[in-house]
Amino acid sequence: MTGGRGDPGLLDRMVRGSLGWLDEARGFFRLPPNVTTDADPNLTLKPLGELAELTQLIGVLHPRDEIRQSARGLFAFAWNETRDGELFAELIRGEPFATYPVELYATFAQAGLRHADADELVATTTRLRGWRVAREDHTRTLNVLNAERRLGLRQHADFAAVLALTGLGRLPEPWTLDRKAVYGLTHDVFHLTDWGRNRQRLSPEATGYLRLWLPSWLDTWLEEETWDLAGELLAVTATLPDAPYDAEAWQRLAAVQAADGSVPEIGAAPTSGDPAETFLACYHSTLVTAFAATLARIACDEAEAGPATGDPALVGGRTPCESESAP
Amino acid sequence: MVTDRTAPVETATLAAEVEGLLAPAEADGVFRDTRECSSALLIFGLLLISPPTPRPKTDNR
Amino acid sequence: MAEQTQGAVPLSAVIADAATGVALALRGEGGPYALSGILRHGDALTPAAVRVLGADALAPYAMEHRGAQAGPEDEAVVRQALAAYPPGADATEVSAWTYRGLVEASHAFLPAGAQPWPAPPEAGTGWVAQTPWPRLSHRVSQLAALALPGLAPGLAEQLAARTDDLSRGFVRAVRRRDWLQAAGLGRWLARLPDVAPTLGLDSGLAFVRQMGGADPRVTLHIVAAQRFHGRGW
Repeated sequence: MTGGRGDPGLLDRMVRGSLGWLDEARGFFRLPPNVTTDADPNLTLKPLGELAELTQLIGVLHPRDEIRQSARGLFAFAWNETRDGELFAELIRGEPFATYPVELYATFAQAGLRHADADELVATTTRLRGWRVAREDHTRTLNVLNAERRLGLRQHADFAAVLALTGLGRLPEPWTLDRKAVYGLTHDVFHLTDWGRNRQRLSPEATGYLRLWLPSWLDTWLEEETWDLAGELLAVTATLPDAPYDAEAWQRLAAVQAADGSVPEIGAAPTSGDPAETFLACYHSTLVTAFAATLARIACDEAEAGPATGDPALVGGRTPCESESAP
Repeated sequence: MVTDRTAPVETATLAAEVEGLLAPAEADGVFRDTRECSSALLIFGLLLISPPTPRPKTDNR
Repeated sequence: MAEQTQGAVPLSAVIADAATGVALALRGEGGPYALSGILRHGDALTPAAVRVLGADALAPYAMEHRGAQAGPEDEAVVRQALAAYPPGADATEVSAWTYRGLVEASHAFLPAGAQPWPAPPEAGTGWVAQTPWPRLSHRVSQLAALALPGLAPGLAEQLAARTDDLSRGFVRAVRRRDWLQAAGLGRWLARLPDVAPTLGLDSGLAFVRQMGGADPRVTLHIVAAQRFHGRGW
């Protein structure tokens, strides 16, 4: 513990372990030739998209250079898998009204990686009235709005108005949250804060609510061995101003990280020895662990440096300021 | 509410039972989630992507 | 709840019946309350049941407009329980505190008889500050009867400093579907000042009652929170 404010050594070991396993698993992130036609996007594009979103963040924000380098290598690999963005043009032509190609593309666009055809396609599809029809899941809509911002597009709805309809907007009784609701709440925080880059966007009410109730959710989801959700809750904890460090929760998550760096999604990792099965069972939690440990590590540094430098604008990583509402 | 309470009782056993009823160990948690959630788990486990988009084969020309 | 064996009624069933009677009385139903009416003097299980119910055995006498005055039989029943089940030298905090609760309630709610009541035994509060919140919450839920107004003021003061932690325990208990723990914690939270509004204590108590009301002790805790602290309506 550093002044009671965290354990940078443990956090760095966890990030290194996770990135090491992910690096070894590159083969399973590779996109198959039928990725734009009949491959299951949940088994192909989803893993690659998560890899890109979180390694981009770690590659910019982690305080340790060798960790940033390692994350950047994975991010570059992901971009390479999209064939420098050509993938997005193909996906959008195949499914012009789907949001996920736009959300995925925006992950790369925020790092300045663009593809001319994809840009023209996105500009055309996202200005349609049809694009502005409300979607079922408001939390997900927040991600679509962020994607539009990252791509420099006009946001199709008012971010604050959509947020108001979500868990983070409503602040439900904390004892009512089931698994789906907790996933929703963590992602509300990730979208609002741009994955922890813009922590000052959390309102004082939301901050107070999260600070008060996160420990109880962490306790139960650790007990349920839902490791990905525990990691996401630890990430949310680390986005709070003057972030608390839950040493016990971190120890429990560290204890399930295998020697090879993998973290199972739920319960114990599969024992079949089938590497593809292991990959699907572990890649998500392993990425979340690296992400959460990165945010917690940044919070440690801020605690060390004292409150005066605890500016939420992280060097090189802050999202450009945006209007809360669509023009 | 009138019940048969005439059976003989072992006092020592009863004392142990009283202690047990006063401070029982915590029961294992019973965790349940909304059932509509189970099919959506994969969706919510994800950070980014939609559920699989229907892709009728007939679209491929 | 244990099955009835060989014609004997298990202690837990006797306690459940008595808890139902107390809850009825706290709701102002079921006629004038008398402890000796729900737990018969001379019944072998009565002292044990009174010991487990603790101060709650006398809870209806704590109401401002009580339906009945405690009679000499009640006093005898309580004295019997205090004599038969004192906390031992190695007693748990819960055992010590619940015993103390029954003594305090006797002082407060029963008429002073010919014999003086025993002095409340010392019970420590050091554990309140030191115990991690999940374990603290579980333990405090077992002391729910001490949430009766005026009892254990020192304990209440210590617990007030951990209101947020106990509130977290309530959230945890509901998620675990441990309704008895949730009800006991909710009852204490109803007594403590400054419970965070985002907890939704009133709806929480109502919810726990609906979900866990099959256990009469759950109902008793919720009804007591309503009756004495005006929460959970």
